[in-house]
Amino acid sequence: MTTVDRALGRPRAFAPVGLTVVRRHPLIAVLAVMVLVFQLATGSFLDASNLSGIATDAATLAIVAVPLALLVISGYLDLSVGSTLALGGLVAGWLAGQGQSPVVAVLGALAAGAAVGAVNGVLCCYLGLSAFIVTLGMLTAVRGLAQQLFPLPLSGFGSGFAWLGGSRIAGVAAPVVIAGLVLVAGALFLALTPGGRHVFAIGVNREAAHLSGINIRRTPFALFVVTGVAAALAGAIKASVLDSAVAGTSGAGFELTVLTAVLLGGVALTGGSGSVLGVLLGVLFLGSLQNGLTLLNVPTFWQQMAQGVALVAGAALAYFAPRTR
Amino acid sequence: MITPRYAADSATSRRQFLSWSAAAVAATALTAAGCAAPDGSSASEKAAADGTASTAARLTKIGLDYPFTQLPLYSTLVKLSTTAAKKHGISLLTTNDAGSADTQATNLNTWVARKVPAIVSFPMVFEAAEPVAKAALDAGLIWVTYGGTLEHQSADIQFSFREGGTLLGEAAAQWAKERLGGKGKVAFLTDSTIELGRERTKGMIDAFTKLAPGVDVVAREQAIDPDTGLAKTKAILARHPDLNIVLGVTDAAAYGGYKALQQAGRSKDHAKTFVGGQDGAAPSLLAIRQGTFYRASAALAPKAIASAIVDVPRAVAADRKNPSAQVPITLVQRGDTKEIDTLLAQNGPGPS
Repeated sequence: MTTVDRALGRPRAFAPVGLTVVRRHPLIAVLAVMVLVFQLATGSFLDASNLSGIATDAATLAIVAVPLALLVISGYLDLSVGSTLALGGLVAGWLAGQGQSPVVAVLGALAAGAAVGAVNGVLCCYLGLSAFIVTLGMLTAVRGLAQQLFPLPLSGFGSGFAWLGGSRIAGVAAPVVIAGLVLVAGALFLALTPGGRHVFAIGVNREAAHLSGINIRRTPFALFVVTGVAAALAGAIKASVLDSAVAGTSGAGFELTVLTAVLLGGVALTGGSGSVLGVLLGVLFLGSLQNGLTLLNVPTFWQQMAQGVALVAGAALAYFAPRTR
Repeated sequence: MITPRYAADSATSRRQFLSWSAAAVAATALTAAGCAAPDGSSASEKAAADGTASTAARLTKIGLDYPFTQLPLYSTLVKLSTTAAKKHGISLLTTNDAGSADTQATNLNTWVARKVPAIVSFPMVFEAAEPVAKAALDAGLIWVTYGGTLEHQSADIQFSFREGGTLLGEAAAQWAKERLGGKGKVAFLTDSTIELGRERTKGMIDAFTKLAPGVDVVAREQAIDPDTGLAKTKAILARHPDLNIVLGVTDAAAYGGYKALQQAGRSKDHAKTFVGGQDGAAPSLLAIRQGTFYRASAALAPKAIASAIVDVPRAVAADRKNPSAQVPITLVQRGDTKEIDTLLAQNGPGPS
């Protein structure tokens, strides 16, 4: 085993693959123990209906977490996803309520998300402003815009639009299928394309990446746009599932949840390392934790404490695991 | 030393561009905000500056401080109160507290310093509002407490948050007796984070458990928004697929529960299912009107509240006796089509 192999956490040739994956992603072990405890304590955690519920709830989180993870790996951040989610859901719901086809409604939402992402991208990648400040500002500005445009709740979007959140494809809920496609696309992009390698290179050292001939503005700009689009898509799905959307509360605090999932999954906030598998684990960890505590009927404040402790423990494990590049 | 091209390229011009852009954006935003602000005529400014003696005689401005700007009720109240105020030649000012008690305190102190002649405030923390209310009274201003009573105040606009919960709990218990023979399973979607939520929760649970002691309480979960209501109810259904009743501290949370039950396969008008909430939110009112198993909402009357926001300070300014107001909470159910339509007109629902 070479020094480089060791630094990159590459497996010994004879090490079992499963063990290596667990070593890189210790959250798998934590998740397994948590699932076991919840199943033994409730007897219903692993029921098909409950697992389906967890997957459906976690789907929107995964859809946003994947592009956000890529953005974080490239050394940037987007805190505006919660408000973009709200705007996307409202635009889609409003268009559907106006009698537009579901396709037009979703496209409208995606356009709104792309616009928010493009503004973030221009300000951060081309004008060099701090991503933290810009997207924090956009979090507030986009929420204000959504409330100004849609001050009252929207509801009753029609059966056509309900397809997005309520239908099943080969027995699997449509949001889960969409999340699966996003996860696969993200993993393939990161592992197999030059763009994926550029994401890591930019995140590790922007100047070195620039000197290597990598366009250090275009790739993160595209990731900002994709993150905005993903957040708006998640908003449209939520609006479809709930058949309603409220400007003030839709997606409130979502940015912290999705960032938590990304960081739990082992993506370094400083950029340069992370994986889509880790993000998937982070999403499943959060979804399972909330569901299990509700199944156990744990009182509210104990739930908050348990969630906080579990998150710190999960993050510590992820921190001490070998970095994935 | 190699200087990266991307950093060195026209660094000065980029900074200049940034500076000019920032200045232009800031100027545009400030101009837009200024244009959107309520008119402040010179007479009203003078009246406000005169303060104490002239306040009662010339009430030209009312400051409405409603902290929960994220709630749909905020937009409705501002719209209706502005209309009600205009009828009396009064302009309505509003704060943007964004649900933060600290921001609320800062905004209220600013209004007192500016001598806004009448302040109607819904304190997030009642104890914390006493000093600013006292300062307002000391400055000769009118202070109206919304949703409660302070030691230092000119008058108040009272709601019984507990009564809303009680009305809902009683209706659900009555339904459980009639349709389930007093048995079944209930889940409560509660709120323990603010006083309003605690009062509603207590009213709802106490009334229900007292009148329907045979119904098994299977969950009490914190949920005030539809997303959380949906996720929590799904989890509860995994353990209790035969859940009959979901009662929410807000209509938003209960609506999430309603969607979870539907997604679990319940028909929209399932005879053995009851969902109810509080607020009178448009999506819930529409579901009740359509005859679904979303059967009840303890609804606030936005128009009555908006009238009180204007009329109570006016009554104080005119030295009327007993200027305070009690705003009723009404339980609306399937047959109450007229009341539902009236509330929907006030709330201005989205597409239906």
